[in-house]
Amino acid sequence: MAATDVQLLQAIAAGSEPAFEELRKRYAGAVERACRRVARSEREDCAQEVFARVWRKAELFDPGRGSAAAWLLTLARRTAANFRRGRGGSPPVELAAHPPAVSPPDVDGFWLDAGLARLPERERKVIELAYYDDLSESAIAARLQVPLGSVKSWKRRGLNRLSTYLGMELP
Amino acid sequence: MKHEQAWKLLPDLLEDLADADLLAHVRACPDCQRQLFLLGRVDRMLRDRASTQRPSRRPRRSSPHGLLLTTAVAIGTVAAVAALVVGSRSGAHTMMLRTASGRAVGQAVMAYSDARNVSLALTARGLPVKSGQVYVLWAGDSTRLPMQVGRFMVDRTGGCRVRFNLPATHKWKRFWVTAPGNPSAVVAST
Repeated sequence: MAATDVQLLQAIAAGSEPAFEELRKRYAGAVERACRRVARSEREDCAQEVFARVWRKAELFDPGRGSAAAWLLTLARRTAANFRRGRGGSPPVELAAHPPAVSPPDVDGFWLDAGLARLPERERKVIELAYYDDLSESAIAARLQVPLGSVKSWKRRGLNRLSTYLGMELP
Repeated sequence: MKHEQAWKLLPDLLEDLADADLLAHVRACPDCQRQLFLLGRVDRMLRDRASTQRPSRRPRRSSPHGLLLTTAVAIGTVAAVAALVVGSRSGAHTMMLRTASGRAVGQAVMAYSDARNVSLALTARGLPVKSGQVYVLWAGDSTRLPMQVGRFMVDRTGGCRVRFNLPATHKWKRFWVTAPGNPSAVVAST
């Protein structure tokens, strides 16, 4: 079974590079979205800085104070704020002293981005078309030129997979 | 119906497509009830995200309330499903308050008290009792901007019964409870 986000952060704190790569793979898209308020040219640098700080600061993460997604989102927002102020390279705020100031809906959206990114492409695509584009399953089948049964199956699997990921992150 | 087959079909409950065999299995299967609870949360996250991405578009075809009603009726007292119910009664809007593990710890009931105010009655029992026994109630509206509603105390059993007023100019969609001084330490949420 795949490691949870909490387990990955704890492994990163212990110096595990594979854990770091896995966390980066999961949250790369979500972090880039969180950096969207900085100038386009700096967005990539901001996301890289976020993960550099994850590597350096993972030991500060305390699962008793909030979820891994909340911690990552806070880190991303603070890094982006530093970029906006033109201090991208400055030392980050000490996370342990400042608990994340993010709301559950924000964290849900951030986690959702990461969860969707972990899905197989066809499952993610079907779910995005169903929810974000408001397409019926028949319309999705026509759009993707695949059988209706495949759309139903991919959507079920994708939703079940996302729910399983979510269940792993809950205490 | 075998468990593996039921598990695969659980997302159908989100679209009112479940058959009697599936519901009968879910009624007797704690694992499926838990997964159904998680599916409901994922469904809500996706709908919330969709509503922020296309705020001017019409609502989705199928209402989650249809699912929830059907499911709740079919499953009866299954607690995991009750977590998803957002119901209305006599003009009031009721939301279940749950911990991250899905345990029901109370409810928030909203009603218009006058043209400018929404009254919120928060009733809870079994909140985790911590030192000081004070919690902070937060509200989120459709613009996703959190607002601190106020602080409240719980008794030694983690119970409380408190009322707050909120401005009626917002569409309050969600409430959550945190520890004081730590907005990310969510104790329970609707």
